[in-house]
Amino acid sequence: MYASLIDALPEVLSWMNLAAVVVGVIAGICVGALPGLSATMAISVLIPFTFGMDPLVALGMMAGIYNGAMYGGSIPAILLRIPGTPAAVATSFDGYPMAQQGKGGYALQVAVVSSAIGGVASALVLMLLAPPLAKVTLLFGPAEIFWVAVFGMSAIVFLLGGDILKGLISACFGIFVSLVGADTITGYDRYTFGHLELLDGINIVVLLVGLYALPPAIALLEEKKELDTSNAGKLNTVSIWKAIPGMLQYWKTWLRSSVIGVFIGILPGAGGSMAAFLSYNEAKRASRHPERWGEGEPEGVAAAETSNNADTASALIPALTLGIPGTAVAAVMLGGLLIHGLQPGPMLFRDNPDIVFGFMWQFLFAAILLIALGGSFATNSFAQVLRLPRPLLGAIIIALVFVGVYSINGRMFDVYLMLGFGFIGYFMDKLKFPLPPVVLGLILGGFAEQNLRLALRIGGGDVMALAASNTAKVIIVLTLFIILTPIISRLLRMRKARNA
Amino acid sequence: MHAKMTSKMAAFLLSGLMVTPALADFPEKRIEIVVGYAAGGGTDVLARTIAPYLEEYLGNNASVVIKNMPGASGQIGVTEVAQAAPDGYTIGTYNLPGMMARTLDREAAFDADSFTYLANVVDDPNVIVTPKSSAIDTMDKLVDAAREGAVTVSMSSLGGDDHFFLMNVADVTGGEYTPVPFSGSAPARSALMGGHVTMGIVNISEVINFRDELNVLGIATQERSPLADDVPTFAEQGYELYNSALRGFVAPAGLPDEVEAALISAFQQTYDDPEFQDVMLRTGNPIELAVGEDFRRLNDEQLELAERVWEISPWK
Repeated sequence: MYASLIDALPEVLSWMNLAAVVVGVIAGICVGALPGLSATMAISVLIPFTFGMDPLVALGMMAGIYNGAMYGGSIPAILLRIPGTPAAVATSFDGYPMAQQGKGGYALQVAVVSSAIGGVASALVLMLLAPPLAKVTLLFGPAEIFWVAVFGMSAIVFLLGGDILKGLISACFGIFVSLVGADTITGYDRYTFGHLELLDGINIVVLLVGLYALPPAIALLEEKKELDTSNAGKLNTVSIWKAIPGMLQYWKTWLRSSVIGVFIGILPGAGGSMAAFLSYNEAKRASRHPERWGEGEPEGVAAAETSNNADTASALIPALTLGIPGTAVAAVMLGGLLIHGLQPGPMLFRDNPDIVFGFMWQFLFAAILLIALGGSFATNSFAQVLRLPRPLLGAIIIALVFVGVYSINGRMFDVYLMLGFGFIGYFMDKLKFPLPPVVLGLILGGFAEQNLRLALRIGGGDVMALAASNTAKVIIVLTLFIILTPIISRLLRMRKARNA
Repeated sequence: MHAKMTSKMAAFLLSGLMVTPALADFPEKRIEIVVGYAAGGGTDVLARTIAPYLEEYLGNNASVVIKNMPGASGQIGVTEVAQAAPDGYTIGTYNLPGMMARTLDREAAFDADSFTYLANVVDDPNVIVTPKSSAIDTMDKLVDAAREGAVTVSMSSLGGDDHFFLMNVADVTGGEYTPVPFSGSAPARSALMGGHVTMGIVNISEVINFRDELNVLGIATQERSPLADDVPTFAEQGYELYNSALRGFVAPAGLPDEVEAALISAFQQTYDDPEFQDVMLRTGNPIELAVGEDFRRLNDEQLELAERVWEISPWK
């Protein structure tokens, strides 16, 4: 297998294939940076055009787009608190406060370096450990995946914000949105009101754009300020290469978040947002000064960005070996493989090693290219958006999200849906309801429900069947640990205070 | 302005006069194939593979483009086709039994009579699989197990070919089977490989890349498949079980005869092209052509099967 890896290298290094990766990374950063456009969408738009291309050119572009977009999403998340992709929501927690303190340039540099590190880690895992990790994926049947979803929900606790009740209401709203569409088991229509467009459920991008991009865009329109260049001036930073040594202190966070990202990636269906939330949470728990988190802690940006890139290549492990994509982007990439007659499965590695292993190299190159392309060129150019008059910026964002949302399925219905969510998001913002629980609720709600019901069906309705396997038991214990540690430590502290 | 109107009217009249010769020249503009799924899915790849062949065999500098209209498991796309003008310039992919099952389990704006049946191309037979590690590696052992106690069956969805086939299996073999519908055959296959369920029902194209990981107990065809000629048919093992998933192309009902004939002939010539056959074999697509009336008969058989299952055990 390692011989095949080396054999695949010369082909990847041909100038066409390298150019494809470069173009992909640049396109990906742009797509990720524009609110409303996502990697999933860019790749699905690209797929029909790749039909006549050489497979490695097509796949190289996709690998570039995927890696580029995962970083690109952090640019508006940091500068405007508008996550460009669902996975960049956690990046905005500390990235935006940093930008407000005039440290936006540094935040972007931390994001790009962390993204690259996560991407490299993920690509290496894909190259070296794909077959054994595919076996790990197989350990996760419906019951185990259900517990993973519960584990992910335990991360909601820290997303709830100051007002727990409002946080819970937000989470429930997200879970409610996940109920819309055909029941995944029986096909029964739920809350579709006869609209075929709702049968497949509500696309996460439609919700994200409605809640996260429209209200701030409207707020930008409300500002009557004249041309404001004060922020842009503060973005001027030292060169990325000089900034890197100072970031080495985040190595623990990089390592931890890479592991979390890679692991979430090999689980079918969870995806980059869950990886980012979880690793943000873990990094915060491990931090010596958690009170600074949410107020501009660079380590928070590092945690979120490392892991949302660390799940890119690893999400392809179940996709290539089993045909089950770990993320929505991996799902469309699978389509990109199919269009070249590359069927997923163990035979793929035997029949087309040049392409499969070449594709893995491209992931590695794309991740490394992020620093060069994203760090110097893209960051500086995108930072210029802050120099635009605010109302103009708002208008541009609104135009972009209309185009982006329309192009998901090529229909106006989704645009109206987005406007509805924008309306809700505007008032949630004004009434101080936190938005992240809605996103996690939508992602994990449907995921948890479907797997719970499949597991119960397999177990013949026996609830104990849910905890039958060792894998399930381990995740249950981990979940309890996460939920109980803060409670126990608080109790211990209270006792100490009383004794003292 | 007056002059303009006269010229417009003249053009209109002329175009009316020219209807008959124009049809002989079909196609004289772009033909759209509406695919009810996103780009990169199995159905989409079939349409994209076949499009250049259709262009070649239709002649007349024909241009065939793909339009993806994903959503509601293909229903949005097929509804679009059913409601399009019957001029041959809008045709669509058509999957069975799914499209007919949707007329039973949902309110559909189309039925079996809404289409001109052009050609069914892919005929992907069902297979029963168990994990390589399982002790159940023959049909007889499986049937014994199912008669002893319920066997869990992973499959892609309720109301699809896997589900209908399972009802047939239950009919023919007796015993008890619990359907576990994953959304899609890849997760169903993975759950089986991980040992989370006892058996799986998928299609032959979905297992050929997993032969080392799965036992294929049988294939639901009259004769063995060229894709896997070591897999015995169910009939060989004494179980009369036949079923498959079908992928073809339809046009709106009421297509002019000449247009229908031109399209069907293009599909026929595509099918006969050895290069096309080779591409399909290489990508693991079992093909079996049925055109016109024969395709319609296949459709009605599938509808009947779906109605029978719907009556005994409605899936929603």
